Amino acid sequence: MSQILTKDDVLKVAKLARIEISSQELEDYLKELSEIIEYVKQLEKVDTSNLKPTNQVTGLSNVYRNDQVLDYGYTPGDLLDSLNKIEDSYVKVKRVIE
Amino acid sequence: MSNPKDKVIKTKNHLDYIPTIGIECHVQLKTRTKLFSGADNDAKEAPPNTLINHIDLGLPGALPVLNKEAVVLAIKAAKALNTRASNFSKFDRKHYFYPDLPMGYQISQFDEPIILGGHVRFFDPTSKEFKIINITRAHLESDAGKNIHPDKKNYSLVDLNRAGTPLLEIVSEPELHSAAEARLYAEKLYLLMRYAEVTEGNLYYGNMRFDVNVSISKDNTLGTRAEIKNLNSFRSIERAVNYEITRQTKLLNSNQKIIQETRGFNDQQGTTYSLRSKENADDYRYMPEPDVPPIILENDFIDKVEKEIPKLPDYYTDRLRKLDIDEVSSYILLDYELEEGKGVLEYVLGLPESDAKAIVNWIINIESPIVLNNPNISSELLKKIHNIYLSLRAITKEGLINSNSIKELIKKLFQEKNIPEDLKQYISKLGLFQNSDSDELDQLVSKVIKENQKAFNDLKSGQQKAIGFLIGEVMKESGGNANPGMVKTLIEKKL
Repeated sequence: MSQILTKDDVLKVAKLARIEISSQELEDYLKELSEIIEYVKQLEKVDTSNLKPTNQVTGLSNVYRNDQVLDYGYTPGDLLDSLNKIEDSYVKVKRVIE
Repeated sequence: MSNPKDKVIKTKNHLDYIPTIGIECHVQLKTRTKLFSGADNDAKEAPPNTLINHIDLGLPGALPVLNKEAVVLAIKAAKALNTRASNFSKFDRKHYFYPDLPMGYQISQFDEPIILGGHVRFFDPTSKEFKIINITRAHLESDAGKNIHPDKKNYSLVDLNRAGTPLLEIVSEPELHSAAEARLYAEKLYLLMRYAEVTEGNLYYGNMRFDVNVSISKDNTLGTRAEIKNLNSFRSIERAVNYEITRQTKLLNSNQKIIQETRGFNDQQGTTYSLRSKENADDYRYMPEPDVPPIILENDFIDKVEKEIPKLPDYYTDRLRKLDIDEVSSYILLDYELEEGKGVLEYVLGLPESDAKAIVNWIINIESPIVLNNPNISSELLKKIHNIYLSLRAITKEGLINSNSIKELIKKLFQEKNIPEDLKQYISKLGLFQNSDSDELDQLVSKVIKENQKAFNDLKSGQQKAIGFLIGEVMKESGGNANPGMVKTLIEKKL
């Protein structure tokens, strides 16, 4: 069966997601992602020309909050504690520029 | 509308290029809290990562809830941009991975933004005409955090205080055709956003950040553009655009191609440099934001908010023009009002037509430099000084004081604790009244001519420039209060 995706497609998705994949994974994902898209493709059989896209299912609109500082019951320090690496209150990450 | 052909750059090879510029401006909205969370929004002086929150950090299960004030401010911005907020708009996720974006996507507006259309009108002092630049759209979105990159380290540090701060991104049509126009557009946009009270507009803290798209072309088609990111002053906009036009011109003249790319601006060197190659728009994988329901604005609500908007810059410039105040002076007054001169616009608009222009000159050239350099000057003192400008005008109209001495006098008044009741007495005490005593002046003139024979001979031989020099010397000799018209006559008599 001809794949719906190419290896380049999979590599591009991996790159956008900042995920490194092995050549074996590339084969696997090519097959799996193609199958998923093939499955979802069934929807194309439905005539949607007269339908608006469904972006929301709740029917809500204008769910607002007033512009007031809220106390969420924790401190910023509590949040930092849950993060991986902290230096001088900054979040430490792999260097992103040269 | 400006004609792009007027802006053609002449190059050595006689190849004519027309620059075309479009500007995206990120305006930080003046809210107390963030766009989707109740975290404090005032990141100016806050220590790193103290204004963070589970929503803006994108922790699992966090539910963003829209700040109503951001919508109100967008409605005001729409009005300032000469349009009206959309009745329907919605949010979308814009995906990219970078450490300053913990959610992995920015909540923005893609195809149905809160503002569509509109325009900005500004005055171009070079061509002495108004230009209208159309606005494509403006949308609400949340800001990212800030990365810093310590020297000689193999890591970066992230401060997420700014993550989630509400921005309105205003996108202009590519209708600007010079660096000067780009700057004028940005300056007017700043005034509009300040007067509509949409933003604090503190450029130092990046409250308005500009991305500038520049391309050049020999005809009416658009050339390949470079986007210069993150400019935060009017001056840097002008410099970056000028540099970019020169760079692109050189490339095309040497038969090289311009690459579509994102560039940064080096403020010290005044140059732009290549950044990461721009991802294609569809790489952002926009999708409707499922967690934030759409904004539906009823006309009544929009009307109500629009009524709260204070007077906008054009209201003032239109009225100032009727007082014979030119646009350049008006813009200076508009700026001054925002800095230290609160109340100055209404004051000027209340002046009689015969005095407004002269008093505005005093305000711009004498008063505002004093006030801007002395933040301690109280608004009461400023008000009192404004109250005597009309009396001063009467004194100048009588020919009792010259423009030199007026400057001296106003400076002195700003040093007083109490404004003197009897102005004439005060002027007299300072010795600032104009000296129109012809005998006294004649003596001064003779003395100056004696000491400046060469200039006098030059004048005799027809070099008119020399008279200005001689008048200046007499003015100096008189302590600045000689009647310059009389001095001129007296010198001419001696020829």
